[in-house]
Amino acid sequence: MPTASDSVAIEFRNVSKRFMLEEGRSLREFIPALLKGTGWSDPFYALQDVSFTIRQGESVGIVGRNGSGKSTTLKLIAGVMAPSEGEVHVHGRVSPLIELGAGFHPDLTGRENVYLNASILGMSGKAIRGKFDDIVDFAELWDFMDTPVKRYSSGMYMRLGFSVAVHSDPDILLVDEVLAVGDALFSEKCLAKIREFQKKGVTIVIVSHSPDTTKNFCGRAVLLDHGCLVEEGRAHSVIEHYWQLVHREEVGATASSQSVTAVPGSLPNQ
Amino acid sequence: MYDERMRQTIRVAGRDHIGTALRIPDFVISLANLWHRRELLWNMTVRHLRGQYKQSILGYAWALVMPLAQMLIMTFVFSTIIRIETPGAPFALFLFVGLLPWNFFSTSLSAGTDSVVGASSLVTKVYFPREILPTAAIFTKVADLLFASLILVGLMVYYGHAPTETVVWVPLLFLIQFLFTLGLTLPLAALNLFFHDVRYLVGVALTLWFYLTPILYPIDIVPDKYQTFFDLNPLSLFINAYRRVLLQDESPDFGKMFLGLGISVATLLVGYYLFKKMEPGFADRI
Repeated sequence: MPTASDSVAIEFRNVSKRFMLEEGRSLREFIPALLKGTGWSDPFYALQDVSFTIRQGESVGIVGRNGSGKSTTLKLIAGVMAPSEGEVHVHGRVSPLIELGAGFHPDLTGRENVYLNASILGMSGKAIRGKFDDIVDFAELWDFMDTPVKRYSSGMYMRLGFSVAVHSDPDILLVDEVLAVGDALFSEKCLAKIREFQKKGVTIVIVSHSPDTTKNFCGRAVLLDHGCLVEEGRAHSVIEHYWQLVHREEVGATASSQSVTAVPGSLPNQ
Repeated sequence: MYDERMRQTIRVAGRDHIGTALRIPDFVISLANLWHRRELLWNMTVRHLRGQYKQSILGYAWALVMPLAQMLIMTFVFSTIIRIETPGAPFALFLFVGLLPWNFFSTSLSAGTDSVVGASSLVTKVYFPREILPTAAIFTKVADLLFASLILVGLMVYYGHAPTETVVWVPLLFLIQFLFTLGLTLPLAALNLFFHDVRYLVGVALTLWFYLTPILYPIDIVPDKYQTFFDLNPLSLFINAYRRVLLQDESPDFGKMFLGLGISVATLLVGYYLFKKMEPGFADRI
């Protein structure tokens, strides 16, 4: 395992994230609400006063049940969301492996989409040209580069997306349940690539429902429940705690005593 | 929502940043970020253009079909049925010099307003300066405009009306029009995420705006007491200026050109400010 350096890659300081639950979306609902002086709906806390630090070169797993705030955390790190309160500091280039191929245009060919997606991830045209062969090699899609991606199977789609993302030379890799990309063979290849990144000292944040993945890849883990940080520490003990939470839920008891939010259910967009 | 603690958030290297209060230095950083990501802007524009016509038989020729049909029908209605006098140029030519910039404006505004909502899968996954989306949508319409200009060239050849050296004003006039279009599109694209009514409002507003802009008729036939109102309509200023330099072979009215420039720059500054102000909430609203 690489040694984590002292410099901070990601820091959350008392971060809270509020959402308005989806109700009023048209002026018809908004204007009366404005006149009455009420907001348009009750806020919902996806994260509440969460603080943690991830150092450069560390691999950290974020675990928690559905609606615990895992994806919100990733979105805050990726910079697509801003915190409602608190501060998020991220040092280095982030490459999100979240729902691969999000930026693909179905009518464009594989080749055109590689260029487009890589430039969305911040690669320069020169860098893309330099790595183009590697990207296609890794995705094993040489025969399909001039085919519109809408003709791709979902596995091919994901493979190309994964390949572009891992070749974008990230400092921080965000992995969200994509380790099962394509068939078993390709899945192995992805895991090997992630190991390679670990060796190179890339900071990796993994969100996974599979405790095994987290244990295999991460030295440390963060447990979230109902938007609150429940435990942070060695992956093994955090996973233990996670199992306890899940078990307690099955038994029928209320959620963790540490969770302060009273809002039941999961976040709509998770 | 922008409390003091958030304002202190350090701008870190290597990651574009959102969620800061907007001050002059933030503007400069935003523009620098945008310049840094110009390749993305270019790629997005090309993606739109390729995607737009890829599945069609006529392909890029579609960019010609619509303005050509508009021109023919409108010319028939307004010079054969209702006779609008256009001294100095045949009606078809007169109309088209106004129709081209109007179509650019109107299609840019519609496409730009939908651009951020349309890229929702990207907006919730990866950060890049969001103004790239509406800007790329407008750049796509610049390409359409260039295609459609072929029709104008054809009309000029047909009527034997070659432009004189005053044609050199066209790029400058277009730049001013571009700034105005972008400035208006940016806040609409952002607002469209918050209220989906915005796109419908834009459609209605454009229809009304079309008739209040001297496209089908010359500005000279507008009664004097309404002239001031037309001077405050930037599209009216632009179209009159295009007609002056292309059809009447005169330099633009400088007073009106500076008025147009002033309105455009102010619109862009306010529009960009509003856009950046709303940007941190985009992903929450999709």
